[in-house]
Amino acid sequence: MHSSYVIRRLLQIIPLFLAVMVLVFLLVHLIPGDPVSTLLGDRATPDIVARANRELGLDKPLIVQFGLFVNQVLHGNLGESINLKVPVLRLIADRLPITLFLTVYAALLGVLMAVPLAVLAAVRRNTWVDAVIRAVFQVGLSLPVFYVALQLLTLLGARLGWFPIGGYGETFGDHLYHLFLPALTLGLNLAAVLVRTLRSAVIEVLTAEYVEFARAKGMSARVILSRHVLRNALISTVTLLGLNIGALIGGAVITETVFAIPGVGRLMVDAIFGRDYPVIQGLTLTFAVLVSLVFLVTDLVHARLDPRAELT
Amino acid sequence: MNRLSRATLAIAAALTVSHSLAATRGGTLVFGRYADSLFLDPVLNDANLDIWILTNLYDTLLQPTADGKRVQPGLASRYAVSADGKTMTLTLRSGIKFADGSPITAADVKWSLDRARNPDNGAWNGLISSIDSVAASGNTVTLSLKRPDPSLPSALATFNTGIMPQKLFAAAPGANDAAKAKAFAEKPIGSGPFVLSEWKRGSYMVLKRNPYYWKLGDDKKPLPYLDTLRFEIIPDDSTRILKLQAGEIQGAEFIPLSRVAELKADPKINMVLFPSTKVNDIIMNNRPKLKDGSDNPLSDVRVRQALNYAVDRNALIQLVTFGTGKPMKSFMSSGTPLFDASQKGFTYDPEKAKALLKAAGFANGIDVTSMATSGSADDQALLTALQQMWGAVGVRLKIEQLDAATKTARYRANDFQMRTGAWTDDIADPSEITGYYAVKGETEAAHTGFSDPTIEKLFVQSQQETDKTKRAALYKQIQTLYTAASPTIYLFETPYAVALLKSVKGFNQIPLGNNIFERTSIEK
Repeated sequence: MHSSYVIRRLLQIIPLFLAVMVLVFLLVHLIPGDPVSTLLGDRATPDIVARANRELGLDKPLIVQFGLFVNQVLHGNLGESINLKVPVLRLIADRLPITLFLTVYAALLGVLMAVPLAVLAAVRRNTWVDAVIRAVFQVGLSLPVFYVALQLLTLLGARLGWFPIGGYGETFGDHLYHLFLPALTLGLNLAAVLVRTLRSAVIEVLTAEYVEFARAKGMSARVILSRHVLRNALISTVTLLGLNIGALIGGAVITETVFAIPGVGRLMVDAIFGRDYPVIQGLTLTFAVLVSLVFLVTDLVHARLDPRAELT
Repeated sequence: MNRLSRATLAIAAALTVSHSLAATRGGTLVFGRYADSLFLDPVLNDANLDIWILTNLYDTLLQPTADGKRVQPGLASRYAVSADGKTMTLTLRSGIKFADGSPITAADVKWSLDRARNPDNGAWNGLISSIDSVAASGNTVTLSLKRPDPSLPSALATFNTGIMPQKLFAAAPGANDAAKAKAFAEKPIGSGPFVLSEWKRGSYMVLKRNPYYWKLGDDKKPLPYLDTLRFEIIPDDSTRILKLQAGEIQGAEFIPLSRVAELKADPKINMVLFPSTKVNDIIMNNRPKLKDGSDNPLSDVRVRQALNYAVDRNALIQLVTFGTGKPMKSFMSSGTPLFDASQKGFTYDPEKAKALLKAAGFANGIDVTSMATSGSADDQALLTALQQMWGAVGVRLKIEQLDAATKTARYRANDFQMRTGAWTDDIADPSEITGYYAVKGETEAAHTGFSDPTIEKLFVQSQQETDKTKRAALYKQIQTLYTAASPTIYLFETPYAVALLKSVKGFNQIPLGNNIFERTSIEK
């Protein structure tokens, strides 16, 4: 892998961030409803609303507000939450690890479920095994996340009492235990996406000429699977997984609400409903950084597995 | 039954009685909240999410009674109002302390009230705007008033007049009051039954019992009974209920009214519907023209009355509140002080509605649009039902779904025709809701644009009428006039639905919303 490729990919991220900042700033300020009215509610008089807007600098022209925002970000400061009155960086630092934990956990569970089942389905293609695997995940894909979440909670949490209902615990072991159901919810959704693509990828490799050749050479099925098929199938899995991390974070918004997990997903929803501009802006930037990083890593891993990728 | 078993029964019964008299001390109550607090300052805060926690942390000079209609002594053991109604003298209890053990002085009270009535501070200073100056000496606090103010005792029992420790607040880092408030609110010290011990935002909040609390329990020892009160934030209604059913939490607030019957049938759960001051209504724009310049049929009082007559409240109560609500008879709830019990409200009379519409020149009916909060199942059910009821008299209702912030922005700009609305009193006095709904003031009568010169005059009078009977008569008149003018559509009153495990005793939510945990205990 060439270092120039890595540098080029890194530099591409800078204009992306700028674009994200401009877009987010404009979008959140252009939607109707302002933080002060939302927060002060019915009882506030126009006087009080005007004074609060002045104190928060929300009465300044948009361009001035944007300048202040960019200046802040360049100084490593994401501002202060209007509603919670604490620094946005602190809010994100408190909650991001929880969401990341959940995302990684869900991705692991998703891959652990998807890879063996996809290979099994591909190897036994057009048998009842294949049909069952595909049908189960097709159903999984069509069910809404909150529905699956509630069903898992009701069955495995409330009825059988195997897992706690909501929360995320204090220690690492606690986190694994508390976040199992939400991670499973997201993992199932991810696995459903992965199984479909992975199955066709494996079938494609299995019927490729070089595999036919290897088989003709007398190589065992196990070696063919691990040396040729999985390596090639993984390329598409990694790309697909990378693309789906964004969706996982999106899914976390719902999962975090149902399972009462105080992650950034829920923080974002609360901030949007409360029109808490600094929090929305700070979180969007954070998401942009995260997703860019994931894409970067995906591309690098992809380039490692398939050197042709560097040329594109 | 033989004599021995009879005696055993008698002893058992006696034990049960004595057991129920002496509450169990200690333990932790875990209570599920639907959302976390934002900012714990009694003066600068705004949301119910804060208020309902603040009342556990800060104590006021007077307190609302359990029925939310009157006041009782708090940090002040008594108060007296001068004959001309322009001076109020309060006597502080002796030996009372903040949760850190430092004494509560009259100077703390003066400073707290001065801060609360500063017009630069928050949205609530209007409640005590009648105070001209505060003087402190010994254990006496004297309030000089600009005018006699019958609502002042209730205002001194409202969260924003919570007494704070001046020295500790001043010692908090920050250059001005707002900055200090931010720092102090992270670790607030008050004199309420509990004190904040840990707060993980969005996740949980732990309150410990205040060892210096002045109130005594049934066992003559200081309240509260609980050692720890833990609030878990569980935004999803179903999850909150599941957690309660699984015994992971012992109490849960904001139970959807649709689940009340099911939880009532659960033998482990005590499903309580606490009376509230909550009214649910449709707020109408009464102006002749809408914001877009089009004619507004709702400016005709006959049309507004017709819409009120065309509402079958009992059906709505079954449909939307699952039988838990009761019809509104006045713009204020029946739990609001000086609610006039002789008010009739509106009967369901579609024929009368049709006749009124015809008389107003709308024999072919009218088209109206109401804003609803998107994602609110209640708004959806309510407006769809109204669509049917109004459709029967020729009123075609269009529903416009908006998120809460957009909806607020629209009605604050008077850019709406109708919207779903709800109100809960914060103070045990009718002046707050009347100031918001019925008089022009700064919010143009809940942004309806409605104004009635007689109501305006009566309201000003009522604000300084210290004779209780005369004040009640003024409010009776205001309510009658308001109903006749129908600036809003009366719907129903709803209770606070709180589900508790059967082992939880002594919890109360008063009609103003305050959660009272000081006498709560967990029976073994």
